[in-house]
Amino acid sequence: MSRNLVELIRRHHAVDAPTALDVLKAAMEDHGELTDADRRRAAEVSGLPEAAVYGVSTFYDDLLAPRGRRHVRVCTGTACFVAAGERPVEELEAGLGLAPGERSADGSVSLAETVCLGFCHSSPAVRVGDQVDAGAGVIERVLAGESRAAAEPEWQSLLAEPVLTRPSEWRGLRRALAELGPERLLSEVEAAEVRGRGGAGFPAGTKWSFVARAAGPEKFVVANGDEGDPGSYIDKYLMERSPEKLLEGMALAGLAVGASHGFVLCRSEYPASKPALERAAAQAREEGLLGTAILGSDLDFDVTIIEGAGSYVVGEETALLACVEGLRGTVSARPPFPAERGVYGMPTVVNNVETLSNIPFVAERGADAYRAVSPDTETAGSKLVCFNERFARPSVYEVPFGMTVRELCEDVAGGLRDGARIKAVQIGGPLGGILPASLLDTRFDFDPLAAVGCMVGHGSILAFDETADMRDVARHLLRFGADESCGKCFPCRIGLRRAYEEFAADGPVRRERFEELLEALELGSLCAHGGGIPAPLRSLLTHFPDELGLA
Amino acid sequence: MSRVTVDGTAVEVAPGATILEAAEAAGHWVPTVCFDQRQAPFGACRVCMVAVAGSPKPLPACTTPCRDGMEIETEEATARRVSRAVVELVLSELPEPPAPHTELARVAARLGVTGSRWTGAVHAREDDLRHPYLALRHELCISCGRCVRACDEVQGAFALTATGRGFDANIAAGLDAGFEDSTCVSCGACADTCPTDAISEISLVAQLERS
Repeated sequence: MSRNLVELIRRHHAVDAPTALDVLKAAMEDHGELTDADRRRAAEVSGLPEAAVYGVSTFYDDLLAPRGRRHVRVCTGTACFVAAGERPVEELEAGLGLAPGERSADGSVSLAETVCLGFCHSSPAVRVGDQVDAGAGVIERVLAGESRAAAEPEWQSLLAEPVLTRPSEWRGLRRALAELGPERLLSEVEAAEVRGRGGAGFPAGTKWSFVARAAGPEKFVVANGDEGDPGSYIDKYLMERSPEKLLEGMALAGLAVGASHGFVLCRSEYPASKPALERAAAQAREEGLLGTAILGSDLDFDVTIIEGAGSYVVGEETALLACVEGLRGTVSARPPFPAERGVYGMPTVVNNVETLSNIPFVAERGADAYRAVSPDTETAGSKLVCFNERFARPSVYEVPFGMTVRELCEDVAGGLRDGARIKAVQIGGPLGGILPASLLDTRFDFDPLAAVGCMVGHGSILAFDETADMRDVARHLLRFGADESCGKCFPCRIGLRRAYEEFAADGPVRRERFEELLEALELGSLCAHGGGIPAPLRSLLTHFPDELGLA
Repeated sequence: MSRVTVDGTAVEVAPGATILEAAEAAGHWVPTVCFDQRQAPFGACRVCMVAVAGSPKPLPACTTPCRDGMEIETEEATARRVSRAVVELVLSELPEPPAPHTELARVAARLGVTGSRWTGAVHAREDDLRHPYLALRHELCISCGRCVRACDEVQGAFALTATGRGFDANIAAGLDAGFEDSTCVSCGACADTCPTDAISEISLVAQLERS
């Protein structure tokens, strides 16, 4: 995206004007569809050119499907797909007499698809307004107008001293302000070797040191809460059950790098996240933990909570920053990296929600204590993992690194329900490889998983039982990939469509040509979306070639 | 200054120079589609892939800065395979082959990509001929972003935008009501940079010839 455009919106941000995306989202909430008058007003308020606003209005899912008074969104994420196939969509289409993306003539009801409501523990899930219902009988309840809020299981920790599932008392920030100061805090975070929990595993301390050294009149901290990976509801739990820990982590980042403002970008698919974060921020301000002169120190730090609008790729850091600025959520080539030129062109720390939620422990207890959390491996800290509805005890669990995937599946999550057997698990989201049952003794850790074509990713563990048809799984993943491509780079924009078409057709998949396509995606794509979707396809080609209909 | 070699030719480039600039300085061709030297590098087409000694993967020449001592290979097999695969994909999204004079057609020919094995969806025909001088043929748009950047970075008119996402990405003028109902100043910078004739100038001569 051009610097001219960023400069335009930076000036409007300076006067606290809403972004174009804010205005368009509010218009959808208000009257269920966008008009040119809405777009013109968004342009006027935000300072964006009208054409750029039009571009934004055609990018995000939430701005595209017209809404009736009752807006029904059916989850098409992988956990819901594994639980119920295409049935939830088909039954709602038939029952409401609407195709996804349509609204009834009288405006009473509308239907849309949505990718992952984070109720993977109770699939299938359907959202009506801001309420999510899930589990057996959900379609009947929605059609009868009797949907109810589904319960979410409590999270649990396997650790005697949890890092992530404990309540925050802001002791890390207190210690950092009273004892450490910015430089020692940064050294602690570097020494703690906190690896990014959002997929790439990049050391947070290294990222922070770049921003601390970067010159800029202003710096920012951005928490990436766009946990779009279908099957993962970890950041959802962190943002909704322990939002103050995330805010504390952001304030610590601000102290370490010299930033005085932060943004949390959470997903619109999680309607409870933004209110939870805003309540926590308001309380923190009241207690003098956010705002100016925090706890009597010279640290100023405050946050703005932003909600996305339905786009998986916005979880990629450059697309995330574009969304924060209210622009189309497309990926930008790096360099420049956000550490150098991020929000409004200023040096910016971008960390995943779980990554930042680790920081209060590091600040309070120090790097050595953090590195000792997982005794059986060199990897520091703990990890939240979550399981899909096929398991007997699906929930979010805090576990040490280094357990085997089998121990996680069988001992922690209780194996599959009803005596079913695991055929394979996909770990870490749609860009993560698929581990067949024969490799379940692989250790859950960065390097051992990478060695078998998988990754820690977001930490979701999504089981396919023996009834799963792996060609259907491939088609499902490729449809997701093609639908969510931001459209910026050519291999992903066209290649994922062609890959999906290959699997959606009834004919054989031409293996040689398909593998050439995977190579172009892996080596050519601009970001981890096009580059990562081939990983599960490679796994399927390796472990389940007979099921794919190859020629 | 950084000293690099391009296919064995040593060149010196200014700090911050890209691999593409080094290759040009060395007189070696790197295929590009979304690049226009009047605009900031965009990194969208992924056709300019080259090999760099020590890098496990090919790198895009237009957005990768040179480092001192870099050894660049412009025709390495894997990098070239990716470039060709991407151009083949691009040809598959158009309802007709690009006209021979277009930049896309010339790059495809030079890479030896004569057509596409991929069938499947192509862009729907939608020709906007309302403007007296500028024709917008959406079906020929390959979302390279050159017109949008020309309008924004070169002309400063901000009349164009990328639209949609994924395979359905395209472009629009203003609120998609055509050039005339936008901030377009009819400068023609978009048509000048377009590598496929998705935006082209309507010349009087061409109109007479057609009639």
